[in-house]
Amino acid sequence: MIERYSGISPKGDLILLRKLAEKLAGKTFLHINSTREGGGVAEILQRMIPIMSSLGINARWDVIKADDKFFDMTKKVHNALQGYPETIGKDMWDHHRAVNEKNAAELDLEADATVIHDPQPVPLINFRKNGVWIWRCHIDVSNPQKEVFSEIGKYVSKFDAALYSVSRFAGGMSKNEFIISPSIDPLAEKNRELSRDEIEETARRLDIPLDRPVILQVSRFDRFKDPTGVIMAYRKVKKYNDCVLVLAGSPATDDPEGAEVLNEVRQFASDDPDVRILLLPAFSDKDINALQRMATVILQKSLKEGFGLTVTEGMWKGKPVIGGAAGGIPLQITHGVTGFLVHSIEGAAFRIRQLLNNSDMAERMGQQAREYVRQHFLITRQVRDYLAVWYTLSEGTKSLVEL
Amino acid sequence: MEEHLSRENQWPFEFRQCTTILKATGRKASNLKELRHIISIVSDDSIFHHTYQYFLKEHILEYTNDFAHWAGESLEERAVAEELSNIDPYGYATLAELRSALLSVIDSCLEIVSQDRPAPPGEEFYFNETITYVFPAGVWASNLAEFLMALKFVDDGSIYYHFYEARMRVPGGVDDFSQWIEQALHKKELAERIRAIDPFMHDTSEIRAYITDIVMKEVSRDMERMGVDI
Repeated sequence: MIERYSGISPKGDLILLRKLAEKLAGKTFLHINSTREGGGVAEILQRMIPIMSSLGINARWDVIKADDKFFDMTKKVHNALQGYPETIGKDMWDHHRAVNEKNAAELDLEADATVIHDPQPVPLINFRKNGVWIWRCHIDVSNPQKEVFSEIGKYVSKFDAALYSVSRFAGGMSKNEFIISPSIDPLAEKNRELSRDEIEETARRLDIPLDRPVILQVSRFDRFKDPTGVIMAYRKVKKYNDCVLVLAGSPATDDPEGAEVLNEVRQFASDDPDVRILLLPAFSDKDINALQRMATVILQKSLKEGFGLTVTEGMWKGKPVIGGAAGGIPLQITHGVTGFLVHSIEGAAFRIRQLLNNSDMAERMGQQAREYVRQHFLITRQVRDYLAVWYTLSEGTKSLVEL
Repeated sequence: MEEHLSRENQWPFEFRQCTTILKATGRKASNLKELRHIISIVSDDSIFHHTYQYFLKEHILEYTNDFAHWAGESLEERAVAEELSNIDPYGYATLAELRSALLSVIDSCLEIVSQDRPAPPGEEFYFNETITYVFPAGVWASNLAEFLMALKFVDDGSIYYHFYEARMRVPGGVDDFSQWIEQALHKKELAERIRAIDPFMHDTSEIRAYITDIVMKEVSRDMERMGVDI
């Protein structure tokens, strides 16, 4: 399977990946998160597990089972860790622990290395059996609500290492904190090359006109993604530049606020026929791919962001992306080179207008963006990093490893 | 010619490359004073990463290390950035000496800056370290023509390893490429031309292009001498 990435991923990533896999072949690598579908974590695990397996590693992925009360609470934890004020009572923390205790009894936690993704399953550390335990934080914890950070930190400090997407998210919760940016799979349905016919078929079915520039934002319907701000920016652009705005997202089972925000966005868009709000079913990967490829400009106007994989996806399609200067977005967008970083609705509107009126610049930026993603944000690099951290922790941390 | 070829084959050049995994130290600086304090206490690995390994990353050529980059871009202290960029890490025998040089420059800057203004929120300097993985790139060259082909094929991480990182390993502080060209191929002049490339004024892609151009001309001259039409 790994040979399919030859000619796409950097050669060095593939060589190191194979060398690390030789060292770790036959060992068990367990990943646990809280949802099988929706959101970036599930998406990357769906792709990473088969790659690891094909390298001879016994890779497994389990999902914890929980009730609505649990997900309401963990959504609050998620918000609080991103700095949004939330109140989480003792009974909620007790429920968080109890749900994980029940899951621990049902899950097979025997593994040479275990990665726990995000705060939902973090109490499983209390039931660790053997091997290396790593906490993978996918969210922006650079300015968290202190009490919630402290509660989660009590669990995180028991792990052998914590992984963050961006340096400034690392918060001293673990003695070993690594920075590993997430990635996309260039061979996945969401990112593979599409024919013109395939793109036009999606446009027809979703009723997207292709006779005018398409401005696109793909993300969950979440206030931190600022969907209403995107509509306001579009309205400023529309005055001189006829265009269509597409807001597309899929529901996630661990995000109970999604429906409420979607409703708000629909009301805000009012009856503008050129604003298309698409609630796509889970696994609409080909449609999202086609939407990104038909877009003239892609937006990710997040106010808070973990990493912002939709930015990476847009860049991989050779599109100029305008991103909010939040979370991991500035790591991907070098302002003026691989896209534009914006800090306001007005800034977003200005950059959209600039790109719509200068197709050469848009083209050049898009190509630079694609190469930057190839070098840094493809899945082979992320699998390489996971295996490197596992190998490093197993062998004892050294600053130089010769293979 | 036969004698020349057999001599080349005795010592093929093995391309290796390195890649790094980033590790946080948990320390961050918001202004020059804090930067100075943390530089004085942070690990050697962190100093190494923010100076020597600067050329392993995409960067702005105006700067030659992360400290200068931050001072220029986030603090907007251009004079401080210029002074920090003027530090040549390969001019110091030890990391302790390099650390002292960094502190000395920041001390003199702190005396002249009108106010030690903070970086905007979110743009603080985060001190990191790396775990460096070194491994063979799977490419060898036995003569200059093979070397030229390989140079076009290998990743930037290989160019970094042999052109920049080598200066810490190879006696005399030179790069691996010129060392091999001089010692295995006995082409001293070619080696000197490669050593004349200013490592601070180019990124790895440009270094690759420069060396390729220099070696290409040498291969063409060799072929002309041998009477091969080119």
